[in-house]
Amino acid sequence: MLKIKISQQIPMPIQVALECMDGQIHALVGPSGSGKTTVLRMIAGLSNPEIGKIECAENVWFNADEYRKNFLSVPVAKRSCGFLFQQYALFPHLNALENVLIALQNSGVDFERKRLIALQWLERMGIANLADRRPHQLSGGQQQRVALARALACQPEVLLLDEPFSAIDMPTRQSLYKTLADIRQDLSIPILLVTHDLREAELLADNITVIDQGIALQTATPSTLFQKPRNTRVAQLVGISNTFQGIFNAGKLSWEGTNYIFDVIDKGKIPAGMDVAWVVPQSGLSVHRQANPATLPVIIKQVSTLGQIASVELAIQDSGLSINWDASSAELKRLGLKAGEHAYLEIDPQQIHIMPLRPINDPRRLQNI
Amino acid sequence: MFDLEATLLSFKLALWTNAILLPFGVLFAHQIIQLNKSKPWIEGLIALPLVLPPTVLGYFFLVGFSGKTIFGIPLVFSFAGILIASLIVNLPFAIQPIQRAFEAIHPDILEAGQVSGLSSWQMFRLIQLPLAWRGIISAAVITFAHTLGEFGVVLMVGGAIPGETKTVSISIYDKVQGFDTAGAGLLSLLLLLISLCAIAFSYGVFGKMPGQSSRRQH
Repeated sequence: MLKIKISQQIPMPIQVALECMDGQIHALVGPSGSGKTTVLRMIAGLSNPEIGKIECAENVWFNADEYRKNFLSVPVAKRSCGFLFQQYALFPHLNALENVLIALQNSGVDFERKRLIALQWLERMGIANLADRRPHQLSGGQQQRVALARALACQPEVLLLDEPFSAIDMPTRQSLYKTLADIRQDLSIPILLVTHDLREAELLADNITVIDQGIALQTATPSTLFQKPRNTRVAQLVGISNTFQGIFNAGKLSWEGTNYIFDVIDKGKIPAGMDVAWVVPQSGLSVHRQANPATLPVIIKQVSTLGQIASVELAIQDSGLSINWDASSAELKRLGLKAGEHAYLEIDPQQIHIMPLRPINDPRRLQNI
Repeated sequence: MFDLEATLLSFKLALWTNAILLPFGVLFAHQIIQLNKSKPWIEGLIALPLVLPPTVLGYFFLVGFSGKTIFGIPLVFSFAGILIASLIVNLPFAIQPIQRAFEAIHPDILEAGQVSGLSSWQMFRLIQLPLAWRGIISAAVITFAHTLGEFGVVLMVGGAIPGETKTVSISIYDKVQGFDTAGAGLLSLLLLLISLCAIAFSYGVFGKMPGQSSRRQH
């Protein structure tokens, strides 16, 4: 298990705490420059945070409090991390096999054994036939497989992936996803994946931590994250388009800019009368031709069809607001809706997720870090 | 007419200079790339022979070496003296190409070495040295050519003792003084050809660095 809790102010603010169990993939997601790679480098020991603690498999790799008492930072070479770079970072003067052998340099077994282990790893990555090729003779996907073999050959206690798929074309990426899924089954070590691609994180990760400007905003499973973002910034970063404002009062949400009031679940977390933001997932939206007590009148403003999926912009009448509804082309055809027509939108209040407009000053959050 | 003695002496000086300077240059360049604040000063110190007039360097050596001996050999007007002067004058020619070659290695590659568990000695031996070999060869060739052509410092420290300190470039000067233009021309042509070949070779070698250029394609 990997446990980290780190923070610093200089040169860029970082405030991240997370845990990743053996065999789990934990994704760090955020825009470029958000500090996600910095966090990964700190775990590997390529740089150090100001204060915090990094533990992996019962071993403390880094420890520093504010006063730098009991300061500990295990050198990179002693941390037993597998690290995958975005640009593969293979040794250009060595062939695939020799690249893997480098990771076994200090394994303490004789050369023949090392060669065997390295070959086995190349085989596991499906590239044993390319063992004597130099990196420049390999495609991007093949290079990353060599890099993965090199990262895993020394039996690391954690695997760190720094945007490993972003330079690789889509079909090759799919097969690498598959390889990663297989490895994770077999190895049972924590895997940390840094990516700016949300779909990739959603596809691969058990948990996602959203990072913005060095601060971890939310850690959750992919489904929770997309349905219940902690605040508007998270909603924005995970690409939720239907974000609205309102006022929350004891289970009643009044939609700002309209006269509608929804009965929503009150978890008792948000003080009465507070300005809130709210989101509703696509599964909470349905559109009808006939009005019923639960619907509100809308006008179809725009229909953009992208293959099987159509993105429909619905203007809420008398409000100036609009909401995006993703419908299948078949559903759209069944309803017979075209731009400019009237329709009735039903929002399932049970699926509405409310969040504070500004972060609530919660002293616990800071203490956690 | 062709001063074979001076030519052989120049080659001997160039070979000795390389033999001593190259290993030192590799280690020193490797140290320099790890410096932070003091780096521009150390680099400046090494580059000094490029900007100071050879006569100024020669003067300092003459004054500094005067009356000193090494293993009983006097340092002024001796082969040992011009060798030491040559070593110092050639510092930038030996160190800079090697330093550039080390610096051209992508930081990701060094970090990949670190996370693969390599010690700094293993990293130097298995990664940095093999990736910098073009720079090392280039340094050797340029140092060799430059030693053959060095004039001012050698003249100041060594004088022009035949077979001991009279190198090709000094021989050329002597021949011109003695109106032997044909002999001077022959030796000059020799130096010109060696220099041209050396520079063309080093440009050719530096033109393609496998560790760096191939990475940029992706």
